[in-house]
Amino acid sequence: MTETTGAGKPAGRSWRLNLEIRQDVSRLQRFLLTLGGLLAGIAVAAIILVLSGVGLRDLYTEFVVSIFTSAQSLGAVLVQASPLLIAGLAAAVAFRVRFWNIGIEGQMIFGAIACTLIAKNDVGPEALRLPLMAIAAAFGGMAWIAVPGFLRIRLGVNEIISTLLLNYVALNFLLHLLYGSWQDPKSSFPHSEQFDAVERLPAVGIMDLTLALPIALVAALLLWWLMEKSRFGFFSRFAEANPRMSRAVGIPLTLVTLTAILVSGALAGLGGFVISSGIESRMTQSFFVGYGFSGILIAFLARNNPLLAIPVALFIAVLFVAGQSLQVFYQIPAAMVQLIQAIIVISVAASDFFIRHRVRIIRQGV
Amino acid sequence: MAPALQLIGISKSFDGFKALAGADFSVTAGEVHALLGENGAGKSSLMNVAAGLYAPDEGRILVDGKDVQLAGPRAAHGLGIGMVHQHYKLVKAFNAVENIMLAQGGARFSALARSVEEAVRRQADALNFAIDLGKPVGLLSIAEQQRVEILKVLVGGARVLILDEPTSVLTDREAESLLQTVRALAASGTAAVLVTHKLNEVRNFADRVTVMRGGRSIATVNASETNSRNLTELIVGENLQERPAPAQSIGGPVLTLKGVAAARGDGHRTLNGVSMTVHAGEIYGVAGVGGNGQTELAETLMGVTTVLDGTVEITGAGDVTHAPAMLRRALGVVSIPADRHSYGLAGSLSVAENYGVGGVVAGRFGGWLAVRRQAMREAARTAVKAYDVQGVRSLSQPASLLSGGNAQKLVIAREFESHPKVVLAHSPSRGLDVRATAAVHDSLRQARDKGAAVLLISEDLDEIMLLADRVGVMSRGRITAEFPAPADRNAVGEAMVGHD
Repeated sequence: MTETTGAGKPAGRSWRLNLEIRQDVSRLQRFLLTLGGLLAGIAVAAIILVLSGVGLRDLYTEFVVSIFTSAQSLGAVLVQASPLLIAGLAAAVAFRVRFWNIGIEGQMIFGAIACTLIAKNDVGPEALRLPLMAIAAAFGGMAWIAVPGFLRIRLGVNEIISTLLLNYVALNFLLHLLYGSWQDPKSSFPHSEQFDAVERLPAVGIMDLTLALPIALVAALLLWWLMEKSRFGFFSRFAEANPRMSRAVGIPLTLVTLTAILVSGALAGLGGFVISSGIESRMTQSFFVGYGFSGILIAFLARNNPLLAIPVALFIAVLFVAGQSLQVFYQIPAAMVQLIQAIIVISVAASDFFIRHRVRIIRQGV
Repeated sequence: MAPALQLIGISKSFDGFKALAGADFSVTAGEVHALLGENGAGKSSLMNVAAGLYAPDEGRILVDGKDVQLAGPRAAHGLGIGMVHQHYKLVKAFNAVENIMLAQGGARFSALARSVEEAVRRQADALNFAIDLGKPVGLLSIAEQQRVEILKVLVGGARVLILDEPTSVLTDREAESLLQTVRALAASGTAAVLVTHKLNEVRNFADRVTVMRGGRSIATVNASETNSRNLTELIVGENLQERPAPAQSIGGPVLTLKGVAAARGDGHRTLNGVSMTVHAGEIYGVAGVGGNGQTELAETLMGVTTVLDGTVEITGAGDVTHAPAMLRRALGVVSIPADRHSYGLAGSLSVAENYGVGGVVAGRFGGWLAVRRQAMREAARTAVKAYDVQGVRSLSQPASLLSGGNAQKLVIAREFESHPKVVLAHSPSRGLDVRATAAVHDSLRQARDKGAAVLLISEDLDEIMLLADRVGVMSRGRITAEFPAPADRNAVGEAMVGHD
């Protein structure tokens, strides 16, 4: 237990700040404190935006009114949210076993490449085309994470470096394909041919939404069960908290770690499928930038909880969409949007301190 | 002469828990004053108040007879009060001089670097501390790191030196030399406080001893005018003397090791052909000076290290030399590890989860699809009561908040829930107070009396003599001598230090 004492006046009445370690934190307290951190971050972000010339009323309009009253904006948020959510889930499951998967973007790219391979070559009957594409994408993502996963488990190679660098390998391979053999013959633009109708995720009939959002939500539910309810999830908690102890107490640590890593890669690959088949209807190059890192952000803010990742992904999607219109209509630089994201992450991270400690002001008479 | 440090009526609560309830303590220059008490009696808390780390809720602190307010550790430092904590406060990547410099602050960096290095060297020579001052402290042994901590405090100009359970991580020989150093420091005018729960340290090295219980000071007596019995009574508030209780009926062999060899993490071979047999219903004690392969023997049996040569057999299951930990547990092998924080518990997870994990591994709380948390909590509640694990205010509190003795009881509760066939206990009472030690020993005896083969590895010869039905002496990675009960203490001791 550590404790520090704050300002104290030697004479007369004095006060000091007392830090105490909380012995037991209820779920409600945890939730409220995290929410407090989030609100504090939003407040700071709002102040910065106001200082850079966006009126408070405009902020309210952009972030609240237009998002929740215009079906078009809400649709844009929901479309944006599905790949973000899947990327967040991919990060959460890997982080749970302390595998710092920075390579989500690369795994998404390989998921997209794998499903485009199926689509381009019209593999299998049309009725099974979409499921085949999804499965291929998952395997593509798994294949791309298998290399750093193997290196880490067998040789202890730091996965932060290997997954990060494999992003660039994947990105360059993607460019090689798009500027080479997979270039669209009709337009000569560096993206693949448009997928056939059977290779695109069908619309669900509300706004502009496709099956992408339901797929992301189901993935979140399944992962929640896997991580919070199943035996694997229980074991993964121990793998996270104390690997040495886990092994000694009989938890199959290698198997648990490997499973989590492969599930992470498969989810990222599925994210690539959702983007290609559900949003862009083809394999493109530009939209991958940022999903992987936003996924890490979402997992962090949601404390690796797949259900919490749903509102967090929506929140990040709002930032994406509103940030775009701020850039267009108020000449706010793109960096400002990232700054806001960073501020919110930091303040939520800081709320962890208040979850673990209680701060009390003590008056003392002399 | 006024005491160098005096604490009067100190009270301190943490989140509603009253750790100190009006404790008094004083130490004068030139004496070694032992502070004795069970885990959780408030010894460390009281000394943390003296070191300026905790601000007391009530009470007075006097230095050389004058009232002071300690705004923090730096203020205490300025008044000449320095503390060596149980968990060292060192930056592992820095060398000794850099660490000590960090604690000084003030002056210009380059001037400071030179003066500190000189002062450290002088102090180290004076105390006969042979440490490599240029080596990162993370590469130094535990005993050497402790010396760096002591140097840090002394170079800072401490006149009051507080040592919080300094010997709990040291071997007997290292402890002896440390305590000699402390005596020498007292002889040269330092006021030394020795926080401990080892009675023989008090008898051999302290001038006075203050006993704490339940956050209060119970008594202060001269060390020469007391004995273990009196002190134990003061500590626990009753007479608690353990007596040997030999095995009633010893069965057939259960665990057999033949020529087992294994290496430490750095490749150094520390087990060189260990052979032994442990029978059902007996406690086999492995005695030996620390560092002769005990850790690797324990890790081999837990299944967390690779066996290079030889075999481990369990009667009825055959060869388990390379069986993973999970399979071993299924066969009824359980372990009480020496380092409960790295091998025994996951500190950030709840008491219920730490208890339940054994059952989940064994498939008791639900199948693969779902862990039955409610059943797990109920079982944990029962076990916490049955094994008298104290300090559990809620089953969902992190296990790291339990004191050493209670953490160990929780480990034992988990390991013993399934009637084990083989029990491995490695220094099971290290760092525990008298009462918790007795409870741990009782659990081991009970497991034995239910027919388990118990392998007790301990560097504490008293513990071995008290519990073991048969004693094997470990030296340089093998069992060099075996003694049936009742073993002759001197013969065992000679075998421990003798070389073959």
